[in-house]
Amino acid sequence: MSAKMNAYEKGEDYIVALDAGGTMTDAILVKPDGTFTVGKSISRRDNQAKSYSDSVADAAGNIGLTSDSVHEKLAADIYCGTGMLNAILTGDGKKVGLLVTRGFDDITIMEGGLTYLGQSQEEALHQQLHKHPRPLVDPKNVISISERLGGGCYQGDVHLPAGHTLIPVNEQQVKDATHKLIDQGCEIIGILFIYSFVDPKHEHQAKKIADEIILNRRVNIPVLCSSDVAPVSKENNRMKSLIFQCFAAEQTRESFLKVEKTAQDFGFKGRLLTLLSYGGAVNMDYPRLYETMISGPIGGLIGARFVGKVLNLKNIVTADMGGTSFDVGLLLDGRIGMTKSADIAGHRLALPMVELDSTGQGAGSVVWVDEYKRLHVGPESAGAKVGICFEYDRLTVTDINVALGYVDPDYFLGGQVKLDREKALKALKESVADPLEIDVYEAGAGVLQIINGQMNDLLRTMVASKGFDTHDFTMLYYGGAGPVHMYGFAEDIEFEDIITLPFAAGFSAFGAACAEYMHRYNRGTRIIIPANAKEELLVQIANDISEAWKTLKKEAIHEMDAEGIKPEEIKYRYGVSVRYTGQIESFDTLLETGEMQKSENVRNLIDSFEEMYSKMYPEGAKFSGAGFTITEVNLEAIADKPQPNLLKHKLKNSKPNKNAFVEKREVYHKDGWKSFSVYEMANLMAGNVISGPAIIRDPMTTVIIPPDFEMYLDEFLVLHYRRATRG
Amino acid sequence: MATIAKDIKHTAGGENKRTLLDMINTRDELTSQSGHYYGVTELSLRDSDPIKYERFYSKIHASVLAARESARYVAASPGSREMGEVLWGLATPEGDTLAVSAGFLSHTAIFPVAVRYMAKNQYDVNDGIEDGDVYAVSDGLTGGVPHPGDFYSFVPICIEGEVIAWAIGINHLMENGAPVAGSWATFSVDTFMDGLVCPPMRTGRKLKQESWWKAIWERRTRAATMNILDDKMRLAGCAMIHETTHKLIEEFGLDYYKRAIREVIEESRGMVVDNMKSTMVPGTYNGCAFRLVKYKGLQNVWAHADKNTLIHVRGSVEPNEKGIKIDAEGSSKWGYHSYNATPGGTDCAIFLGMINSFSHNTKVTAGIELAVQRNYPRGSIYNPDNEFTSNSNLWAQTVALNSIGFGAVSRGMFSRGYLEEAFTIDGNWGAFQGQGTTEDGSAYGFTNFEWLGGTGRGAWCYKDGEPLVWAAWSQMATIGDAEEFESTIPALFYLGRKLLPGFFGYGRFRGGPGNSAVHWCVEPGKHLALSRPNGGLSCTPSVGLGVSGAYPGPGSFMISARGTNLDELIAKGETPRDARELLEQHESGKLKIDNLEIWKTDCPELSLQNNDLFVDAAGSSGGWGDPLDREPQLVVNDLNQGVSTEYQFLSDMHGVVAEKNELGTWELDEKATMKKRADLRQLRLNESQPVAEWWKTERQMVQKTGFNEEVKEMYQQSLSFDKFRDEFCSFWQLNEDYMSEE
Repeated sequence: MSAKMNAYEKGEDYIVALDAGGTMTDAILVKPDGTFTVGKSISRRDNQAKSYSDSVADAAGNIGLTSDSVHEKLAADIYCGTGMLNAILTGDGKKVGLLVTRGFDDITIMEGGLTYLGQSQEEALHQQLHKHPRPLVDPKNVISISERLGGGCYQGDVHLPAGHTLIPVNEQQVKDATHKLIDQGCEIIGILFIYSFVDPKHEHQAKKIADEIILNRRVNIPVLCSSDVAPVSKENNRMKSLIFQCFAAEQTRESFLKVEKTAQDFGFKGRLLTLLSYGGAVNMDYPRLYETMISGPIGGLIGARFVGKVLNLKNIVTADMGGTSFDVGLLLDGRIGMTKSADIAGHRLALPMVELDSTGQGAGSVVWVDEYKRLHVGPESAGAKVGICFEYDRLTVTDINVALGYVDPDYFLGGQVKLDREKALKALKESVADPLEIDVYEAGAGVLQIINGQMNDLLRTMVASKGFDTHDFTMLYYGGAGPVHMYGFAEDIEFEDIITLPFAAGFSAFGAACAEYMHRYNRGTRIIIPANAKEELLVQIANDISEAWKTLKKEAIHEMDAEGIKPEEIKYRYGVSVRYTGQIESFDTLLETGEMQKSENVRNLIDSFEEMYSKMYPEGAKFSGAGFTITEVNLEAIADKPQPNLLKHKLKNSKPNKNAFVEKREVYHKDGWKSFSVYEMANLMAGNVISGPAIIRDPMTTVIIPPDFEMYLDEFLVLHYRRATRG
Repeated sequence: MATIAKDIKHTAGGENKRTLLDMINTRDELTSQSGHYYGVTELSLRDSDPIKYERFYSKIHASVLAARESARYVAASPGSREMGEVLWGLATPEGDTLAVSAGFLSHTAIFPVAVRYMAKNQYDVNDGIEDGDVYAVSDGLTGGVPHPGDFYSFVPICIEGEVIAWAIGINHLMENGAPVAGSWATFSVDTFMDGLVCPPMRTGRKLKQESWWKAIWERRTRAATMNILDDKMRLAGCAMIHETTHKLIEEFGLDYYKRAIREVIEESRGMVVDNMKSTMVPGTYNGCAFRLVKYKGLQNVWAHADKNTLIHVRGSVEPNEKGIKIDAEGSSKWGYHSYNATPGGTDCAIFLGMINSFSHNTKVTAGIELAVQRNYPRGSIYNPDNEFTSNSNLWAQTVALNSIGFGAVSRGMFSRGYLEEAFTIDGNWGAFQGQGTTEDGSAYGFTNFEWLGGTGRGAWCYKDGEPLVWAAWSQMATIGDAEEFESTIPALFYLGRKLLPGFFGYGRFRGGPGNSAVHWCVEPGKHLALSRPNGGLSCTPSVGLGVSGAYPGPGSFMISARGTNLDELIAKGETPRDARELLEQHESGKLKIDNLEIWKTDCPELSLQNNDLFVDAAGSSGGWGDPLDREPQLVVNDLNQGVSTEYQFLSDMHGVVAEKNELGTWELDEKATMKKRADLRQLRLNESQPVAEWWKTERQMVQKTGFNEEVKEMYQQSLSFDKFRDEFCSFWQLNEDYMSEE
């Protein structure tokens, strides 16, 4: 790692990672020994630098340090914010001008007609109420330019080749349009031409003309091309990526740079990093900053990958239950599951994003029964008001956990917040038990069973729909409510192992600290491999792929050099997207090496694709006879970055120390009252085994261990949930 | 629940196994006797253990959702992968829907039709239905399929030899091998010209298709690769549902499963009926629409089909204690054309609006079918008394029947004060299809149904409609991407894909504008030809009239411009971007066209050469309220935003006067507007006549029966049904034997 990126020296290895949410900015300060502390501050949208410094100072204060002293010893500083998303949601972004292919003048209004994105099935079904999201570009600032490239056809080499110029760029129209957009006050210009992902030559030609005019008129207006922002197929998704980058990302960059300056003023010698929605950390010079739009959920998955490496876990299912949602993700062979199009605030982007299955049900979700005696959980959530036991006016999942005795009303956030159990119980009776005409505790247990069952189904579906077997996966629970419900979520699903962590509540922020420094590069292609491809064609294809990787590498070296990373410090991962010729969807195929010169290499590529495909679909879904099409060549460029460390402890007795025991508590579990032993998380040691019925309490979360189960703390203090091995 | 317990005993496997037909008879008997699905009068499983009951449903629902989310990626056709033209479902042994994925939901209506055909013809007896068999279905009469372009895969789920459920997958094919290439066989005169029509037939075993089935796709369709992949997609989803259903039964037990599936359906039926009662005002909601079939001169080979036909689509909707009754009596009879329907296909159409309106907040099951009583008179276009009718273009007129039903719901909502649900309903879609052979001899077939994926929405009673915001037939509106559609047709390239200015119904509130695309033929090789089936073509798309004094959405149309000077326009950077611009360029002499044809009816296959253009327009929607009541500034805004471009037309339509300022921006002249509106209102009064006078004059025309050939035949057909004859003769005070002798 070069000095420009980070002045990391041995011994000065504090790491700070911040998650600037809508309400609070959380900071995780990782100490040199791998342990960490949490700081918080109110999020200030108008002054993120202030939220940043307050939160870091709070964390530093926990261990008797100052913000200055921490910053001087910082090895990595990672900042995840929601500023870009807020700009999209509030419409507070740059004034964007767009040049589009002639005839596609209304593309920003039409946006493919997609109006159901992000809706529940109930909402989607009621389609008469669908509407477009708030427009991000004024239609009068969209100007069409005469030009056309051909993209080739799926039948193969039977017509004009991909990239063929059908209509050259009308340069005068580009000039006129640029002047007009400048006159209309546009602050940034995007260019979106059809099939530019196949060949960017027309977009780059138009950009060159526009840049010259802008220079001559002495205005400062960036010009971005869709082929640089998101060089992949499907013009509507590419258009959204381009608009997001133009509308929100550039101003977010300015805001991030202010945070970076604050950190550097405190003495930080490196560059501020932020997280990509597909799992890497980049600094604020990264050209496609819109890719950091969704950086929160990725933190947890990166953390899971980190834990997986430490514990040598191959496949992991993650379940993150917070206040408002339940998110399930997958790691296969240590890689985070990705999707190629991200749906954000009603827009579909050509953005690789961590693949999560989510439901809008969390600990704060409202529980209610309708006039048909149907039980509902969510979608409304109490958020920070917790539930009727605190400051909310409706029954929530947390209320039920309090009413049944799982959560101690006097130890919420370590006792800082007192909850009212009687109110929770009363609400449970009135809202659920009475309408269903059942006992109040039975009602509470039933509701939890429903919630746990639904999450259980989501977990199964996530794994099974990809064609995998849960026996091959370790289940990792986190989020404030993850450990509270893990016993139910995991019921009857046989995983290789089921784990959680003492710091489950802050795991996403911890994960942000674990991110590797990584850029992803891709290029859309139309490389067709006929089923009976001859040797010379395969060699040609190998060369084509190899050339594409070379181009991407060149791009990576150029960009990362600007970010302070030397070429020799970069490592690469190689991949392609492949489909059976004729299919609409391509499937990401990871390759073991970037070796691609011989026909044999292409055959190996096909084998890798079909092996991966066979894991997802029945044998009958394969169609080798159709041949194969490579639609994308991609590359991940990775550089080293300081990482936190899970501290290894000496294993002690299986029996916990006496000071770990807190009390016995009566809990209504499933079908009746049971006596649970309560332990203090901070006083448990590596090697301890806690037998159920038991509860491990912590200021940030509660771990439930039902009868016949136990929890084992390993040498890293990772908690392993398992069926009891002793009487 | 004694009836259920009795049934379980009878449906046990092994030696006591009953035939599929026995099971259907039991289902029908119990349902008709009690008025409740399967005789379920109490939801005892739900009431005794609601938690377990909801878990059960949650699991079957999750199974079909997961099937779609995973399997659609196997697809080859953009409609299946990108758009809503796909569905998976789980049905009872009798074919009643238990759970469905996202997609074109109303296709669940055919499930029982196909299963009943198999039962009636003893498929389970000779030579048996086994777990994991695969059946293909695309026939309207025996399978209930709307048109052969919609293809179904049925997979029985059996335990100990007894069918306990069906996993079913559906999608819309891109090409189905008819004489006219594409997925809607235009100009068919009977089923033998409809392409690949399969009555329920076993094509695979143990969740795998048999080898011969691939040959059928390869030899009987023009897009084998796409169709084979779509077939694999349907089966992949069914295989997932098959597996999860077996696991579900292991978990809950077969007895619980058998009881719960009945309760789930009865529960949703009850909720749908409640929704209908709480949102509709009692009464009869009538509607009609018309569709022209222009076959005259095109069918010289088949003399019996050589005529034009005006199809009368007539429907009435009546809320009642059981739900809603939809009656199509009075609609035309079937004919030797491709626009006939079958009862199953008609159900598919009319349930489109019903599911959106009444099932969205329930478990989506066969409950909707139980709550909607249907009357499709025998011999009518919806229930032909000829078993070989063609139904390949069913949607081109049944969508209008759906619009009548959906429009009735909208009016009901409006009457009850649910203004946010009240808007003008249209069903105006478009698509094109065809075939080609490239220079090297590679043959291909295709369908581009982008304008089927999304349309404008009609005006609300309080605001303008929006462009490209929904599709009445799917909850997943999306037109896909030009880059994807273009890659399926080698010689056709987009020169435009945009909204069409002024292409909507005018009113106090206007409809959302429709869409227009310009396709450019480049080096077609040996052959490229396309045709156009269309739901909005030569058809009144909704109820034929606007709502509350507004205009309906204009019908679809297309333009073929063959023999052009396009190269000159390319050089100038002025290629036409939409239908309006093309016609304006032609009128001004800028675009020279040797052979310009504007098609407002079905056209034969159009052969295209280099630089020929094919332009379409579809997806318009209607207005709401009197155009003279439109806020004048909104008219000016439409001009300034390019939503409409013709000032004089707008001025005459809305009585609005505006002028362009020095910046080229339109500005309202309020005073002149007030005067023009007053003048137009006076003109209306001057041209008006008392209703009694109008009735008298019209009656004379009706009595003379001096209609043209197509209209006369339409009336004769509709009058052959008593209900329409009674209504018609009563209104015009005609003799009972009116037109019966002609």
